[in-house]
Amino acid sequence: MTALADIRDLVMSYRTGHGGLRALDGADLRLDTGETVAVVGESGSGKTTLGMAIGRLLPEEAECESGTLSVAGTDVLRSDPERLRALRRDKLGFVFQNPMTALDPTMRVGKQVARAIGGRPSGDDVAALLLRAELSDPARVIRAYPHELSGGMAQRVVIAMAIARQPALLIADEPTASLDASIREKIMATLNRLRDETGATLVVLSHDLRLIARHSDRVAVMYGGRVVEAGKVETVLDAPAHPYTAALLAAAAGSERPGQRLSPIPGTPPSLSGRCEACAFAPRCALAQQRCHDERPEPREIAGRRVICHFAEAALAAAGRARRA
Amino acid sequence: MQIPVVDLENIAVTFRRRLIGGDAVHALRGVSLSIAPGETLGLVGESGSGKTTLGRVCLGLLRPSSGTVRFDGQAFGRLRQRRGQLSVVLQHPEWALNPRLRCGVSVAEPLKTLGAPVTQRREAVARMLDQVGLSPEFADRYPGQLSGGQRQRVAIARALITEPRFILFDEAVSALDVSVQAQVLNLISDLQARLGFAALFISHDMAATRYVCHRIAVMLKGEVVESAPAETFYGTPEHPYSRALMDALA
Repeated sequence: MTALADIRDLVMSYRTGHGGLRALDGADLRLDTGETVAVVGESGSGKTTLGMAIGRLLPEEAECESGTLSVAGTDVLRSDPERLRALRRDKLGFVFQNPMTALDPTMRVGKQVARAIGGRPSGDDVAALLLRAELSDPARVIRAYPHELSGGMAQRVVIAMAIARQPALLIADEPTASLDASIREKIMATLNRLRDETGATLVVLSHDLRLIARHSDRVAVMYGGRVVEAGKVETVLDAPAHPYTAALLAAAAGSERPGQRLSPIPGTPPSLSGRCEACAFAPRCALAQQRCHDERPEPREIAGRRVICHFAEAALAAAGRARRA
Repeated sequence: MQIPVVDLENIAVTFRRRLIGGDAVHALRGVSLSIAPGETLGLVGESGSGKTTLGRVCLGLLRPSSGTVRFDGQAFGRLRQRRGQLSVVLQHPEWALNPRLRCGVSVAEPLKTLGAPVTQRREAVARMLDQVGLSPEFADRYPGQLSGGQRQRVAIARALITEPRFILFDEAVSALDVSVQAQVLNLISDLQARLGFAALFISHDMAATRYVCHRIAVMLKGEVVESAPAETFYGTPEHPYSRALMDALA
């Protein structure tokens, strides 16, 4: 497998009225061709900043302080606008959280899709594209305005637009958050089918670990602007080596037994103003020791995944005990 | 046997596209259910299945086309009569809280409508914030200064301040992060154990619903197709549609 995108030690900050707010604090992520990667984390963990940075789709206040980000050989953060345009046009596709804000409410769907294809596509081209995104009645959808579609249909239109130019990398930011549980599965299945057909790489950003895990090859868990644990889905979810991954799994409803109580993660996620010289998760971590508050953990390989934790071995053992219990 | 707080019998709601003629949309067809004091009933189903319509009927905001609604064993009567007895927590706390009012004022508002004096209100607000796990200084903050989970706690405090007999949670945790969802779900169960209100928990998330509810009713196209204790939904429910909803969990 070749790396399609490589993100190394990326530091991004937002300029605000009262100093900078650090959204990414040295994030590392490598995306290979043809895989589905789930980027998981709470709000404020930096996952959206990371996803949008891949296309440099960040607001002007965002500033890259250090690190590199290359996609298909293009240095995204230092390219001139012309190269960036070419990259976005030919290599990237984006699916946003809320389809209703991603579509233009004043334009018929057919015209918007035609624009995404580029050139002067025929009505049949547009219909064929909508059919690929599993919209069953393309003739009606082409004539419709976005408000005449249901949320699931609108999201399929957005997906059709994202794959219109055969992107090599498809980035979906919470693609199912505004949809019903019954439709979520179908949308994720569609995204994965399209990935298989086109051989593209799919990146899904979400806070729902379980839903996303079922449809992904690899998972990257983000916390405090860093990727704290990354590896194969089975490896990471069966025995998380970072206490935060374990806490996320324990907090989600769905795997508890009747009458069992969920254990929420105490405290709130951090908002950083500068480089974090400790483990960002230490204040909320059950396994934290003095070293966690004093020393910034560096990434290391353990049990088939990359993890940022001083006591990953202990966390791994605790996860094993919890599973056997 | 206890008298149910909310008792619906054979409720039907039909919307018409136009005043006369036009297509009729049957939002609810012959729904009967009851909720006992201290019980949480979950209502799951896809969008358009009539969950929210049923919630509005329970709150008395919508008069059913046919069927009877009883509240505490009596006819529902006028909405004004039910002041302080019913309450609602919505999906987005932003919808429940005025961004220009301090949280304390928002939380006290239902009591003000009931005509409670200032000193009593202030005391009740402090007590209520404590119950939902917020320190009293949150009363002086604006909703914009809080995180999503804290805001939903304030919205719950506002819903509970009149000690209502019945609360409707309409997608109350759907907009929250997974880790915060667990906090709010635990909070709802704890408060109910302490205060003993009846609740209707509307959601399309089966995992959250079966965790917090005692009984679950599954809705499909305006009808309740299955109603069973929550434990059933940890195993194999009877109706094929319930099983389809369960598949999304595996």
